[in-house]
Amino acid sequence: MFAAQATFYYMAVASVASALFAVTRNNPVHSMLWVLALFLHVAGIFLLLGAEFLAAVQVIVYAGAILIFYLFVLMLLDLPGEEARPRFGRHWPFAAVVGGAFAALAWLAGVETFDREAADVVTATRVAAGAPAQGSLEEIGMALFGPFALPFEIAGLVLLAAIVGAVVLARKRDTPF
Amino acid sequence: MIPDTGTILGLSAILFGIGAFGFLARRNIILMFVSVEVMLNAVNLSLAGFSRHLDDPRGQVLALFVIAVAAAEAGVGLGLVIALNRNKPGAGVADLTELKW
Repeated sequence: MFAAQATFYYMAVASVASALFAVTRNNPVHSMLWVLALFLHVAGIFLLLGAEFLAAVQVIVYAGAILIFYLFVLMLLDLPGEEARPRFGRHWPFAAVVGGAFAALAWLAGVETFDREAADVVTATRVAAGAPAQGSLEEIGMALFGPFALPFEIAGLVLLAAIVGAVVLARKRDTPF
Repeated sequence: MIPDTGTILGLSAILFGIGAFGFLARRNIILMFVSVEVMLNAVNLSLAGFSRHLDDPRGQVLALFVIAVAAAEAGVGLGLVIALNRNKPGAGVADLTELKW
């Protein structure tokens, strides 16, 4: 019990710290590496929440594919003057106020509504009903290919459109197909 | 139940706030996209928390769709960055004020 709590608080503190470093570092590559740390810690929190498949997808797709894609483009573009520029725009205090205000509002809405007591009630009802352990891969697979079959296919279509769009946008204009 | 749902939502709120700050404050297009990824991750975290709170796998399914859309967004967004960079080097939003380029 204590170990789970300590692990969660380590993951929480580390993910907040790496997110802060990711948005404030001057060197874009350092920023990307801090985002990698953030993704891995969030995957750890998914594991604690019983979302094993989501944690695996987070590591494979987010950290393994999307982030490496960002790093590729960053190194392909090779922006030498980037570190010399000011890291924030002129209006960054306004941005800080907006981010802080949103975080405070969402904190109030979330933390005040879902206090420990409400969570315990849900756990008690689940245990009493003899419900299966939530988060199993089988349950997600049945949901994806059952009630969510159409959204799943549409997600595939969205990804196909994104691939074609990326190729059309990034190809050289003067060369024919 | 460790961690409880309120704590997860609080953590998600903090991460989303950091991402929103990064998106508004950074002047580099690639780092603005990365801030969007931080915000999407915060949303996924709250979806996973709700999924456990309600004991319903649909929250995790929704988070998977969010990841798929994030991948599509990264592909198109970085394709745009490469196309813009070919015409005019630099990835700062200040470099890209003319629609002509």
